Amino acid sequence: MTKRQNAIEVDNLVKVYQTKNRGPLRAVDGISFSVRQGEIFGLLGPNGAGKSTTIKILTTLVLPTSGSARILGHDVVTQPLEVRRQICVVVQENAIELYLSVRNNFRTFGKFHGLSTREVELRCDRVSELFGLREHLGEKGSDLSGGLKRRVQVAKMFLIHKPIVFLDEATTGMDTFNKRATVAAIKEESRKGRTVILTTHMLDEAEELCASLAIVNHGKVIAGGSTDQVKSLGLKLLYLTLSFDKVPERTLKAIQRANPVKIEVRGATVEVTVREEDVALKILNTAKRLGSLKQFEITSASLEDAFVEMIDKKAGAP
Amino acid sequence: MREVLAVVYREYLIRRTSPLWLFFDMAVPLLYLLMFGVAFDKALGAGLSLEGESIQYNQFFLAGVLSMTCFGSAINQSYGFFIDRDNGIFYEFLTYPMTRSQFLMGKILFQCLMSVVQCALTLVLAVAVLDIAIQWEYLPLIVAGVVMGTAGWFFFLAIFAFLIRRNDTFNTAINVAYFVLIFLSTTFYPIDQAPAWLRLSSFLNPLTWHTDTLRFLTVGIGAGGTVLFEAVCFGAFLLVSFWLAVRTLQRAV
Ligand SMILES: Nc1ncnc2c1ncn2[C@@H]1O[C@H](COP(=O)(O)OP(=O)(O)OP(=O)(O)O)[C@@H](O)[C@H]1O
Ligand SMILES: [Mg+2]
Repeated sequence: MTKRQNAIEVDNLVKVYQTKNRGPLRAVDGISFSVRQGEIFGLLGPNGAGKSTTIKILTTLVLPTSGSARILGHDVVTQPLEVRRQICVVVQENAIELYLSVRNNFRTFGKFHGLSTREVELRCDRVSELFGLREHLGEKGSDLSGGLKRRVQVAKMFLIHKPIVFLDEATTGMDTFNKRATVAAIKEESRKGRTVILTTHMLDEAEELCASLAIVNHGKVIAGGSTDQVKSLGLKLLYLTLSFDKVPERTLKAIQRANPVKIEVRGATVEVTVREEDVALKILNTAKRLGSLKQFEITSASLEDAFVEMIDKKAGAP
Repeated sequence: MREVLAVVYREYLIRRTSPLWLFFDMAVPLLYLLMFGVAFDKALGAGLSLEGESIQYNQFFLAGVLSMTCFGSAINQSYGFFIDRDNGIFYEFLTYPMTRSQFLMGKILFQCLMSVVQCALTLVLAVAVLDIAIQWEYLPLIVAGVVMGTAGWFFFLAIFAFLIRRNDTFNTAINVAYFVLIFLSTTFYPIDQAPAWLRLSSFLNPLTWHTDTLRFLTVGIGAGGTVLFEAVCFGAFLLVSFWLAVRTLQRAV
């Protein structure tokens, strides 16, 4: 992969906030990553990890203390205007014109991004259809519910065709239906070649959307790479679910002898957690041999498992 | 330019949603002129004696009304930053494809239009009702003075709006500053006979520079050389404020 294909390059980024109570605070502490064009990239991490601060630096809202970042080759510190021309941003805070109607929210946003009045009207129809905002176009921002406000804020990004989209917890406050619509819209945009960089707490959302991601904690990347790689960086755990009519006592004893990480019996189902495939297969064979096994399932660790495992492990880190 | 006009368009849409506020905006300078102008004019009877010449108070006060209008207009617009911040839209704006200076220019351009209309109404009232003679040949310069005054104060106040961040603190600071600046200036009264400390403070006050310039342009009171110097000082005040406002805005998040 050559450098030219990277839409975003972040190199050893540091942001130190001077706080009154806690002294200097390293919100971002040497973060590096890159995002390829057309890719959906996720920044994951617990509250206060430094995700939003990283996004703020990349979107020219905040100056870094040191390190560098480039958006399509433009430096965020020395070429902020060029950077802004390539991006659109859903900030973590709600951002909506409370005194203006939804339609006028779209209009002003379009004007700021160089759309003609006609273009805005055309795209406004399409986008309001996509996000279920058609019947709300005439309503004032201040009269919308929290989730609807967020929807307007996110919908605006799809009015324009900026190559890079930043979404800082874009689906916060949305109901399941709109979350799905948003996720689908993001996927569609990425298929069209837009690069998306998002932060989220919803690990299933990240797992579904992101081709690659970085897990951030205390301002540092503690794991990064393709989503599959990151998942496998967690404990290599396998989950074995065995269903019986009634769990035979001797099967249970045999499983225990195989020394798994965890056994849990729930009614007629036994959930076994193991580290090695061999062990999983051995348990499965034993259960089959001893009879009355109805169904079984083997799954590997989810992103959530990897996430919890990694954050736990580093929890004590400064 | 497109960027600046986009900001103007947005300010216009927002202002349009509140016609009552717009009306009061327009009415305040007229009320000032009528209430203070007429009252003091009557109270002072023979008028003021300025450099040996006798002039009517409302003729003197007119420029004070104009400069206060510019200042008030700038205050109104600087409050807008707090509204934008509460809406969260402030941060989104700063990621739009424009420079910080274009953002500030757009913000003030609309407000300058408002100031010009307010001041035009005030001048018409001054002529029609109070019978004040205006030097109409200076009209383009008067308009320029109004625009520069509004912009200068707006950029100056914007610095504090970005630094202070808290609406209530900003409000208090502005109220105190407004009172002190007006008291230590030539807005309401000539300071020729005032104590030395007041004259000195007044001479260091941008509000005096602006008021004196407008007074010279509208009704011809003041010495040309001094006024030119004051106008240049105000221009410098405007540029420095603009530069500082842009710089502060870089770190306003
Ligand atoms: N303007 C600021 N001044 C001082 N400290 C700040 C400022 N902004 C953020 N911080 C601190 O920096 C750290 C990182 O904050 P950041 O908002 O980047 O976290 P985050 O990962 O986005 O968290 P969340 O998931 O809660 O949104 C936090 O400890 C926060 O308190
Ligand atoms: Mg955040």
